[in-house]
Amino acid sequence: MTARPGGFAGNLLRVDLTRRTCRAEPWAPETMRELLGGVGLGAMILYRETATKGGKGNVAWDHPDNRLVLGTGPLAGLPVWGTGGLTVCTIGPGTNGPTSTQANGFFGTNLKYCGYDAIIIHGQAKDWVYLYINDDVVELRDARALMGLDTWDTQGALYQETGLAGHQLSVYSIGPAGENLVRFAAIQGDYGHVASKNGCGAVMGKKRLKAVAIVKGTKALHAADPRGVVQAADEMAHDLRTDPSARSLYEYGTLPGVVNLSKMGALPIKNYTTNLTSNVAGADLSAWEAPKLRENFDHRGHQCNACGMHHCHMSVIKQGDRKGAIVDEPEYEGWSGCGWAIGSADRDGVAWLNTECDRACVDVNEWGWLCGWVMECQEKGYITREQLGFELKWGDVKGAHRLLQMVSRREGLGNVLAEGVKRAAEKLGGPAKECAIYIEKGATPRGHDHRARWEEMLDTCTSSTATMETGNPVHPTEIGQPARVNPFDGEQVAKYVAGLRGRRSFEDSLGICIFTSRTRLEYLCRALSAATGWAFTVDEALRFGRRTAAINRATALRCGHTGAMEYPSTRYGSTPVDGPAKGQAIRAQWERMLDTWYAEVGFDRKTGRPWPKTLKGLGLDWLAKDLWGKKA
Amino acid sequence: MHRAGTTAATIPVEVASWVTKFVGGDGSGRRVMDEPLTPGATVRSVLESLSARFPELQRALWHGKELGEHIEVLVNDAVLGVEHTLDSPLRPGDQITLLAQFMGGE
Repeated sequence: MTARPGGFAGNLLRVDLTRRTCRAEPWAPETMRELLGGVGLGAMILYRETATKGGKGNVAWDHPDNRLVLGTGPLAGLPVWGTGGLTVCTIGPGTNGPTSTQANGFFGTNLKYCGYDAIIIHGQAKDWVYLYINDDVVELRDARALMGLDTWDTQGALYQETGLAGHQLSVYSIGPAGENLVRFAAIQGDYGHVASKNGCGAVMGKKRLKAVAIVKGTKALHAADPRGVVQAADEMAHDLRTDPSARSLYEYGTLPGVVNLSKMGALPIKNYTTNLTSNVAGADLSAWEAPKLRENFDHRGHQCNACGMHHCHMSVIKQGDRKGAIVDEPEYEGWSGCGWAIGSADRDGVAWLNTECDRACVDVNEWGWLCGWVMECQEKGYITREQLGFELKWGDVKGAHRLLQMVSRREGLGNVLAEGVKRAAEKLGGPAKECAIYIEKGATPRGHDHRARWEEMLDTCTSSTATMETGNPVHPTEIGQPARVNPFDGEQVAKYVAGLRGRRSFEDSLGICIFTSRTRLEYLCRALSAATGWAFTVDEALRFGRRTAAINRATALRCGHTGAMEYPSTRYGSTPVDGPAKGQAIRAQWERMLDTWYAEVGFDRKTGRPWPKTLKGLGLDWLAKDLWGKKA
Repeated sequence: MHRAGTTAATIPVEVASWVTKFVGGDGSGRRVMDEPLTPGATVRSVLESLSARFPELQRALWHGKELGEHIEVLVNDAVLGVEHTLDSPLRPGDQITLLAQFMGGE
């Protein structure tokens, strides 16, 4: 029998909500290197356990047999920056396909110290419950008293109930949007950390699971080479502090994104109707520089496990109606989704609305596309005041909050809007549909204007996990890619996206934050090797990531995803009318981009399936047989 | 953005926001360096001349003889590759902007 590698707790926690049972299942050490954790483990569980009988189809997101995998990874709980990571994998309601979405805080650390590498939840509770984990004490507790509470109040109530607070108790929960099955409901935890994609909060709601509360456990977590882990952690920290790009993350998190992206034409403004910040009333871009954004608020520390970044903050609003309110400092995407996308440059109002989205458990990206769309539709008369119940104009933060409550509770038109941008737009149809930003698979993009970031639009549309699967490049030259490509040359972009494939899936399997992993892959591999005792190389990391992406692709195909869905909506794929990317028409190159991407990744353009040769090259002979039968 | 009144002798290089860190700033605002526009000057030659005076900018801007991944270069507000390459000649009235590469996603 293979000995358990370092870095792993060694157990998977199986929770059957229908039968109200919880049991620790030993994780066979033989498969740990193949699966790692996070999305690597989650992708395999979804593929193995969500097929319908006969294996041809897949259960839908709202079926009790859908899995909700809350995973960590082999670095979680070790003294590497940002290793409280949570990866959520499930069949989500946005695309009705696989999901991989991450959050941080203390989830991963606390779970590992309780003795588990991941929680695998299936079934559906009869009455609302929450999952309580404290070492070997694992209980499904009555959550009826928590119903209707937002995520922050849920966390507060559980602190009170358990007598624990801060990193002693990690709480991930859903608010009203999750309870009411809003298709873009998120899972929020530890005050401000959000696993936001593909409606994973609605999956939790469908299962009638209000929260997961994990006490910081007492079990030992071994590393194969403890000194090596610390050395690798130091190398990563040094790189984050000194690398020309990562240093901005180290000092300011994602705050510099607003100014940077605006100058590239990639800041989404007023539902993609413009790329000029001057078209937003009261906008003064100098106030949106990262240091100025920080100076506008008082701050409280809010760091994740073992993290030395100056990234996550709690902010206190210093002036106006909301003076004294404590909010989570928005990430770039919060400033975007609750601000620029809906035409607001009111920093205090945007920060407040962003936290309200977290409390309701709504994905702030889809929120921005939905709210901005409603504002544009009202302006153009596609949604009347009578339909909505009030007038909602660009930049109206209070009105946006009112809409958020309607959507979260499915009240009035909010019931239609709660279905997400794509389905709501299809319901309204006509010119309203033409204004909506979405992907044909059913999800919506991240909070950028991808018409100036073609690599992200291609990645988003071809992804099997409802959001970018490859992601922003980090040191592309380290994996043989050029340092930069012409951003408006479709063929170059497609080759680039294909060439970077694998890195993100590897990172998201380690239990580490996306931001503390913005370093060299070599350092991540060194940390993983020291933790586990393996000699994990960059080549193996990429191979692992591509294997994981192929497995997710197989599940997505089984869910009914097709190549015909790999298109942006009319507005999402439109040509900017002003700003730095004016006139750059991605749709004119889209077919060629898809052709190139498919050829580069080794997938069949017609069916979407990875070629047998591709799968065998990744050691997935069994999957080649599943997908191609005798042709494999 | 073309700057009316720019003389033929210099070309403005706007160092914006985070990139000001590499030329002695605090990572916000903008600094405009008026670089000599010599006969035959290209985007490359102007950037080489500028970065030679600022070691941190030198490290951030280049990957060997080509541009690295850390800084976006815009010429007349368009990303390099749209209308200019690194070896395109520059004319009076042109302007270069240096922006930080976006590292977010969340």
